Amino acid sequence: MSTETKENILSDPQRVYDQVVDLIVTEGMVDRDKVTPEATFDTLGLKSIDIVMILTAVEEKFDVYIPMDGSIAEARDLKSFIDGVLQRIASEKN
Amino acid sequence: MDVTRPRVFITGAGAATAAGIGVAPLWEAAREGRSAVGPLELARPLRSNIRIGAQIRGFDPAAHIESGVLAFCDRFTQFAVVAGDEALAQAGLARGERLGPRTATIVGTGIGGADTIELGMHNAYVTGQRVDPWSVPRLMPNGAASQLSARYGAQGPSFAVASACASGTQAIGLGAHFIRAGLVDRAIVGGAEACITASGMKGWEALRVLSPDFCRPFSKDRNGMVLGEGAGIFVLESEEAARRRGAEPLAELCGYGTSSDAADIVRPDASGAASAMSQALDDAGLPPGAIGYVNAHGTGTLANDAAEAAALHRVFGEGLRRLPVSSTKPIHGHGLGAGGAIELAVTLMALRAGIAPPTANWTTPDPKCDLDCVPGQAREVAMRYAMSNSFAFGGINAVLVLGQP
Repeated sequence: MSTETKENILSDPQRVYDQVVDLIVTEGMVDRDKVTPEATFDTLGLKSIDIVMILTAVEEKFDVYIPMDGSIAEARDLKSFIDGVLQRIASEKN
Repeated sequence: MDVTRPRVFITGAGAATAAGIGVAPLWEAAREGRSAVGPLELARPLRSNIRIGAQIRGFDPAAHIESGVLAFCDRFTQFAVVAGDEALAQAGLARGERLGPRTATIVGTGIGGADTIELGMHNAYVTGQRVDPWSVPRLMPNGAASQLSARYGAQGPSFAVASACASGTQAIGLGAHFIRAGLVDRAIVGGAEACITASGMKGWEALRVLSPDFCRPFSKDRNGMVLGEGAGIFVLESEEAARRRGAEPLAELCGYGTSSDAADIVRPDASGAASAMSQALDDAGLPPGAIGYVNAHGTGTLANDAAEAAALHRVFGEGLRRLPVSSTKPIHGHGLGAGGAIELAVTLMALRAGIAPPTANWTTPDPKCDLDCVPGQAREVAMRYAMSNSFAFGGINAVLVLGQP
């Protein structure tokens, strides 16, 4: 898996969002059409073990380290989880 | 014997070995002298002239363990869980009921998650791939004990015993001590190991203790051991706890002895081994003549077999002439931390069947190993008591004595 370049990541936030969703689908083994902003970990059947797998894949793809701070650790719905992840990617790449 | 001391019974036994999943295929292979040693199959490349081992082939952990649990289980833990399920089922303890705070879980292992350790190193240093996020819980040596504890809701003391090739035997002996001391009523005990990996093989090869062709315990032409992998798990219960449940005891665990040579770390010592055997007999309140069969440590190395034979002579004296002593390591390999537990399963079956399994691959008498090692074929032996020996690097000796229930 190739690591994204800093330029790519910063110039195209939508693509980053889509790539994070891709990872949620593949690592969390969920149907893509269920991945909506209002979806929650519960409705997707995502357990903590799946979240760790997703975060590990994100770290690898974007070459970032995602500490378990409040915004991500307390997320129970997909929107706040993805927002937390995107924020982390952006701040590491800036 | 202290009559006030609670008696300890084995009410369930389980095994996973190169002979197959279960105590039955292990016993059948041991009884028939049918070796499960074969060409090595490894996940990562090995440059070595040693190409054999007793591996569990075609093992599909997903057929036995739920995916959410499996992610946390290294191969050694997978074996322990499979063997544990068999032991608990035989004891009549279903997974649905939580065993609670009066059940201990003590599982020995020499290394722990060897495969996870090696893969982590391989990814970190060689391929640059991501390291499995569950590496730490997978590789920790208490992984097997903790998984079994969680699986059966056993909330009593839980830990791993790490004493190389004596790990399984010491874990079983400790479980019996916990019950006798009144700390628990029941203990899930045994040993598990899965360290036949490319780097693990190199380590053993460097010690010059591996045979390139055959494990031939007590035979003059012996040239080393063959590694094995697997697990043996038992349910131990106090007499009272077993009776309350109406559980049928398979055997009594009547004696345990352990000692340390406190000398050379890798060279076996006859006096330390003899001391552990004598302690186990004293613990069981038995004279040496009461033992009807000994399942020897019998690795097939020059040093171990000679030292063990000398120790047996010290303990049994003239009686050794009439005592069948065999090593089943040519069948299931040297299971290291699982070895004593796998061999206790063989010893248990030998006791129950009244059959001493043979020492396979034996060809030539060695004056340094002057004992009746049951060469060639199994033999019917009426026995009330049987002994199982384990001797380990680090100078650790551990011996268990089983009796008819």
